[in-house]
Amino acid sequence: MRARAAPPLHSLSSIQVDESISLPRLGPPDICLLTLGITDSDCLQLPSRRRQHLPITDYFNWYSSRIGLLQSDFTSFACFLFLFLLLHEADIITGDFKKNWGSPSMAASIQDYDPPSSASSESDPCDPREYEDVFGKDFVVSPSEDGDIVPSKIITPPQSPRPPSAGSNQKSPRARRQRTTSISKAAILKTSQKSESVLRSNHRTIYTAGRPPWYNCAGQQVKPFVIGICGGSASGKTTVATKIIEALDIPWVTLLSMDSFYKVLNEKQHEIASNNEYNFDHPDAFDFDLLIPTLRRLKEGKKVDVPIYNFVTHGRESKTKTMYGANVVIFEGILAFYHPEVVKMCDMKIFVDTDPDVRLARRLKRDICERGRDLEGVLKQYINMVKPAFCHYIAPAMVHADIIVPRGGDNTVAIELIVHHVHTQLTKRGFKVREKLANSIVGQPLPSSIYLLPTSPQVSGLHTFIRNKDTSRDEFVFYSKRLIRLVIEYALSLLPFKEVTVETPQGVTYIGKRCSADKICGVSILRAGETMEQAVCDVCKDIRIGKILIQTNLTTGEPELYYLRLPKDIKDYLVILMDATVATGAAAMMAIRVLLDHDVPEENILIVSLLMAESGVQTIAYAFPQVRIVTSAVDPEINDKFYVLPGIGNFGDRYFGTEPSDAPNPDGS
Amino acid sequence: MVQVEVPVMGDLAQGIDRRTKEEIRTHDIKAELLEDYGPNLKLLGTNDQVRELQTILRDRNTSRSDFKFYADRLIRLVIEESLNQLPFSKCVITTPTGAPYNGLKYERGNCGVSIVRSGEAMEQGLRDCCRSIRIGKILVESDAETHEARVVYARFPEDISSRKVLLMYPIMSTGNTVIKAVTVLKEHNVSEENIILSNLFSTPFAAKAVVQAFPQMTILTSELHPVAPNHFGQKYFGTD
Repeated sequence: MRARAAPPLHSLSSIQVDESISLPRLGPPDICLLTLGITDSDCLQLPSRRRQHLPITDYFNWYSSRIGLLQSDFTSFACFLFLFLLLHEADIITGDFKKNWGSPSMAASIQDYDPPSSASSESDPCDPREYEDVFGKDFVVSPSEDGDIVPSKIITPPQSPRPPSAGSNQKSPRARRQRTTSISKAAILKTSQKSESVLRSNHRTIYTAGRPPWYNCAGQQVKPFVIGICGGSASGKTTVATKIIEALDIPWVTLLSMDSFYKVLNEKQHEIASNNEYNFDHPDAFDFDLLIPTLRRLKEGKKVDVPIYNFVTHGRESKTKTMYGANVVIFEGILAFYHPEVVKMCDMKIFVDTDPDVRLARRLKRDICERGRDLEGVLKQYINMVKPAFCHYIAPAMVHADIIVPRGGDNTVAIELIVHHVHTQLTKRGFKVREKLANSIVGQPLPSSIYLLPTSPQVSGLHTFIRNKDTSRDEFVFYSKRLIRLVIEYALSLLPFKEVTVETPQGVTYIGKRCSADKICGVSILRAGETMEQAVCDVCKDIRIGKILIQTNLTTGEPELYYLRLPKDIKDYLVILMDATVATGAAAMMAIRVLLDHDVPEENILIVSLLMAESGVQTIAYAFPQVRIVTSAVDPEINDKFYVLPGIGNFGDRYFGTEPSDAPNPDGS
Repeated sequence: MVQVEVPVMGDLAQGIDRRTKEEIRTHDIKAELLEDYGPNLKLLGTNDQVRELQTILRDRNTSRSDFKFYADRLIRLVIEESLNQLPFSKCVITTPTGAPYNGLKYERGNCGVSIVRSGEAMEQGLRDCCRSIRIGKILVESDAETHEARVVYARFPEDISSRKVLLMYPIMSTGNTVIKAVTVLKEHNVSEENIILSNLFSTPFAAKAVVQAFPQMTILTSELHPVAPNHFGQKYFGTD
C-alpha cells in the first residue's frame, strides 16, 4: 500500500514494485516490511541469498539529506525515527493501521509473523509439524531477522516477539488471516528447500535432506552441542543464531527460544500487561521449571514438546511444538544465562553485546512502527523495566560467556570463529556412522539377542524363491509374504506370556498361556518394512502401526531420517520394528534410536526382518544389547553397495516393482 | 525302542542355548509321548505363541470372531509345518547381487484333501501357502445309531494315486472319521506313505488308533490332549 502511495521513495526495481503491489493477501506486517523496503519476494529467498537492494538505507539517506542528520549518529536516530514517523509517515501508517486493522491485532500479527524465535510460528493446524521437524526446519529464518538487509548497524529489523504491547482485545479476524500468511510463507520456504534437496539421477529420485545420524557407531547418543546465546532485548541474538546456523551448514539444528517459556498470566497480570506495566524482562516472567527439563531432554537427544506461547492471551496454546535433539541445539533468550542450571548445560556461551542506544532504537522502531504503540508507552516500559532488567540480570550474565560478540549479527569475524569451533567439536564427537558400521565386528559368534527362525525345508524353499533373481514379481511377492508371516509368528512367540486357566465348552478346565503384553504396536521402516505390515495386521487384531522413513543419502552414504509417525504414548508399547533386510544396520539403528528417544525401553523393542547381514546383527546387538533381533537368515557379507551377499537384492524395489531399468526385470513389465 | 526324532519349531536347531527349563521339560514330555506313537506322529513345535492360540480356541468365552481369527492362525502354522513333510530337492540359484545361493526346490505333484465339514476350515490356509494346489473332498458321516463312519461323498483329482496327499481334519477324538477317509484314499490307490494328515487337536486315543491302523502315514498335530475341543466346527462355521 505504501508502495503504491509513494513509489518513487523506494529504490526498488520495477519488478519488485510490481511484486509488492501484487500481494494484497499480505496483512499488516508486510506493510511494515514494505515501509522498510523489504518486499515479499525478498522474504522468500532467505536465508540463502543476500539481498541486493537496500532500500531502507536509501530511504534513510534521502531523509538524512533532507533533514541533515548523520547516518552514523546513533543517538539521534531515535529522534530521527520519531520525526520521520511523525512528519511524513506517521499519519499514513498509523492511520492505515487504525482504519484497517487496529493496532492490537497488529501487534498480534507481528508475533505470528516472527517464526523462528518463538514456537508460535508453527502453531497452525494445517502445518504438518512432525514432518517439518524431521526436515530440520526449526531454523527456517524469517525475513525480518536478517541483519543483512541493512549495511549500517543501526537498522536491524525487529527480531523479538516480546510483546509488551499486546493488547487484550485481540479479536480481529485479521489475525487469523495473518497466521495463514505466515504459514504459507513457511510452506513456500519449505518447497523451495525441498526442490534443492531432490536429486534426479537416471530414473531415480534421491532425497538428500533428512536427518543424519545423531549417535555414534555404537548407537549411543552423541550429546548435541548446545550453544547458549544471551543478550539484551533487540541486541540481535536471533540474527547471530541465524548466521551461525547458516554458516554451520549442517542439516539438523534445533533453535529453542526462551520466549516459548513465558509464564501463563492470570487475569490481573493480563491487565497489567496491557497497561505496559507487566515486567516481561524479569526472571520471574519465565517458567524455568519447564525450561530446564525441556533443554535437558533436548540435550539428551530426546523428543520434547515445546509450549507455544500466545502473546495475545498470555497463555499457552493447547498444541505444542515437537522438537528433537539435534547435532547442534541453539538456545537463545534475554535471560539465557540467568539460571545456573541452564548455564551448565550450554557447551558454548555467547553474549551478544550491542550498544544500548542501538537496542533502544531498534526497540522504538519495532514497537512504534510495527506494533503501532505510542512512544510514551514504549519509553516508559524501557525506563521502568527493560533497562533495569538489563542492568540487574542480563549484563551481569556476561561473566558466564565464553565469547562476547560486539555489534551482533554484523560481526562476521566473531561468527566465523564460533562456527569453526563448533565444527571442530562436531568432528570430535563423530557423526559418520555407516562405513564404520560395515567394518565393525565381523566373524564373532552371533550374539545372544538374535532369534533365528528355525530352518525347515519350507523356509529354505521360500528363501530360494525370493533370492532367485529370475523369480517373477508375482511369485516374489507371494513367497516373501509367506516368509514374512512365519517370521512375524515367530517374533510373537518371543513376547512375554503368562499362564492362565480357562473353562472349555467340554466342561473341563484347561491350563494354557496368554500374552501378558497388552499393548503391542508395529513400526515399519519405510519402504521395505511396509511389506511386513500386512502380516503383522494378520496376526494381531487391530494393531497400531507407526512408520519411519529413513533413506540413504547417496552422496554421503549415511542414513537420514525423513519422516516419522508413531502411536501416541509409544513408550507404553511393546514395539515390533520391521525392516525387510538389514545390511549394515544403519537404518535399523537409527530407527531404534528414534524409539529410544521416544522413551521406549530397549527391552521392549523387537527388530524383525527377513534377512540380515552378520555385520548388521553384530552392530545392533553391540549397540543395543537388549533389543531382540528376529530374522529368518543371516548372510555373511555385505558388498560395497551395502547389499547383503548372497542376499535378495533390493527387496523394496523387487517387491514394489521399482527396479531401475538397467537391472534385470523378469516380469518385463 | 525306536529313537524318536522330534522336529521342534524352537531354538534347538540353532545351537543357541536359550532353552528355558520349561522348554526342555515339554521337550522331554513330547519325547516320552512320542515313544508310544512311533516316528510318524509329529507334533508342531510348541512355543508360547502356539500355546496361546490353543488356549484361545479352547476358552469357552472366546467370541466367534476371535475364534475364527485365531483358528486361522493356528491352521496356517500347522499347514506350513505339514508342507515341511513334502519332498524337496537341492538346487543352486543366483541372487540379484550375482552370488550363488544353495537352496531347496519343492517337488511338484501334491494335492490336498479335506474332510467335510471341519476339514474345509483348513483349505484356506493351504491355499494361502500353495495358490493353485488341487483340493479334493470327502464327506464322512457317522451313523447316528451305530456311530460307525461311512463315506457319503468323495471327489478327488484324477491322478491322485501319483500325488502326495495332504489330508486335512482339525479335530480327532476317536479317529474313526480319519480312518474311514484314509481307507477311501487307499481305495483310490493312494499309498499310505504318501498321505500326510494335518490335524490341530487330537486325543491320545485317536492318535494311537490312527497310528495303529496306518503306521506308514505321517501325522502332524499341534496338541495331544485327552479332551478334544469338539466345538471347533460349530464355532468356526457359526452353527452352534
